[in-house]
Amino acid sequence: MVKVILRNMWRRKARTFLTVFGIVVGIFALTVLGGLSARLTQQVNGAKSWFTNSISVVPSGGSLFGGSEGRYFNVSKVKEIDTIAGVKGAAAGIGVLVNESQSFSFGAPDLIIGLDLSQSQDILKNLTIGSGRPLQPGDKGKTAIGSVLADKLGANVGGTVQLKGQPFDVVGIYRPTLSATDTFAFVSYDDALPLFFKANPFIEKTPVSSVIYVTWDKGTDPEALSKRIENQVQGVRVISPAEAEKQISQFALIFNAILLGIAFIALLVGGLSIINTMVMSVSERTREIGLKRAIGAETRTILGEYLLESAMIGLMGGLIGMGLGLLAITGLNSATQSNNVTVFAITLTVVIGPVIFATVLGTLAGIFPALRAARLKPVESLRED
Amino acid sequence: MSNIVLEQLSKVYAEGASEEVRAVNGIDLEIEKGEFVAIVGPSGSGKSTLLNLIGGLDTPTTGHVYIDGVNTQGLNDKKLTRIRREKVGFVFQDFNLLPVLNALENVMLPLRYLKVGAREREKRAMEALELVGLTNRTRSRSSQLSGGERQRVAIARALVTKPALVLADEPTGELDTLNTCRVIEVMRNLNKELDQTFAIVTHDPMVAGYARRVVTLRDGKVESDIPGEAADLKCDEGDEGPTM
Repeated sequence: MVKVILRNMWRRKARTFLTVFGIVVGIFALTVLGGLSARLTQQVNGAKSWFTNSISVVPSGGSLFGGSEGRYFNVSKVKEIDTIAGVKGAAAGIGVLVNESQSFSFGAPDLIIGLDLSQSQDILKNLTIGSGRPLQPGDKGKTAIGSVLADKLGANVGGTVQLKGQPFDVVGIYRPTLSATDTFAFVSYDDALPLFFKANPFIEKTPVSSVIYVTWDKGTDPEALSKRIENQVQGVRVISPAEAEKQISQFALIFNAILLGIAFIALLVGGLSIINTMVMSVSERTREIGLKRAIGAETRTILGEYLLESAMIGLMGGLIGMGLGLLAITGLNSATQSNNVTVFAITLTVVIGPVIFATVLGTLAGIFPALRAARLKPVESLRED
Repeated sequence: MSNIVLEQLSKVYAEGASEEVRAVNGIDLEIEKGEFVAIVGPSGSGKSTLLNLIGGLDTPTTGHVYIDGVNTQGLNDKKLTRIRREKVGFVFQDFNLLPVLNALENVMLPLRYLKVGAREREKRAMEALELVGLTNRTRSRSSQLSGGERQRVAIARALVTKPALVLADEPTGELDTLNTCRVIEVMRNLNKELDQTFAIVTHDPMVAGYARRVVTLRDGKVESDIPGEAADLKCDEGDEGPTM
């Protein structure tokens, strides 16, 4: 059956090629964007698990990645927050860009995060250490680094790294989370403060903080607590777990909307070209259809044959497009690997999704031409030239 | 028992309009099992329409067609298709072989629609090709076969399901004399050996001459129905014709 359908497709090589090529282009785009989206989803999910287990309090106008834009407030805010009912702990944090010129990057920037270690153990325990140990209260001149940044800096447990010109002993390297924290170097608050002044030379040298991580008592609603902090503390922006999740998801949402748009265009163009090809095939083979009906083929047999042919066009375009897409993804990933950036992820969905999509598209596009073929009256179609 | 019974059979095109055409106009006809009937008549006399009505390719405006005692009147498409599949074999003037299939695959096709298993399909198709003397061309596509060979493949395809009834519409219309003779010879031999009923629409007096009964149509009616003495068949030019 499939063999015969392939022979039928081969009858009009150029037309079949062009139709399949149309699908290939759409599916190629879909695969590459799918890889981008998959990578983004990994990062978003990782980011969610980090940012939703604490409330981030940042200077008003600040964002989730507190510190990367140089905003700060006085560290006395920590004490203010600590007295609010339901707060379990408030950890002063300070963020400094590892590399000043890295103002924009795909995903999260490389950040030095200074934390009040005595207050932040609850937060840090959400990250799993891969080798070595996490930071402990009292650590000085020590750092525990996310996996990607560790790779980039060539850090080894027991070795030292330079962070903004300052040497740090590497005590631990975290397991990859595929999220923002992979590019974080955690140090103590006291160690980070001088680096912050170095990065922002014109501010008054008083203890400041660019982000305060707040944890909550058991049974306290973090959203209600966020509201309370916002109402009681001046000049801060409170990013509750739900808001953090919303912000992160929104980023992904916009991207996925674009992806959907591309898929829709692929659907429209590819689908129409399959419909066109199949309608032409049906009218070219009217006599053959009549003959088959004369010798006993039922309408649904004819219907099945043409649906299968149309699905095959979709499947072929899908396989080729996906293959080329993977090739492109692999190539681009290896090109950016030297910068320790992974732009695309290859997941099962990225591989199988576009192929299934193309096949379903082909089948759907075949419905109209196949119905036309099946409804031909045998005696009339045999008369056709 | 009559294989085919036609009762007051009519087919009207553009019914009621001024250009109304009564292609078949009240035909009563019986064809016995195992008969070899030629249907002749001038162009437009309704021969092909009659054949299509008998074979269930077309539905009559009025009247009845009985095939093996089954009235095909009012049968839905699915049931008509089933009758064609199980009881009728068609041979057409222009062969209608599927170009993407080789000779063997073309002959196997009706068996696929009968849901015969793949191995059995091939075996029976090979037997049918042997009957028409084409076992050496089984892998050839239509385009690689001569006109006579193509028509023999088409006959094999019509016979492979062992239908009670074989309907041929101008089967020799595009063949030269030698090939016409061979195709007729194949059909007559099959008629004799397998006791299948053959109804052949033809223009060719030679073909009609070999039939045992000649029905002449004019203006959609039976003009004459003459039991003939079938002439002896001798295909000239030594090279081996279909072997039986």
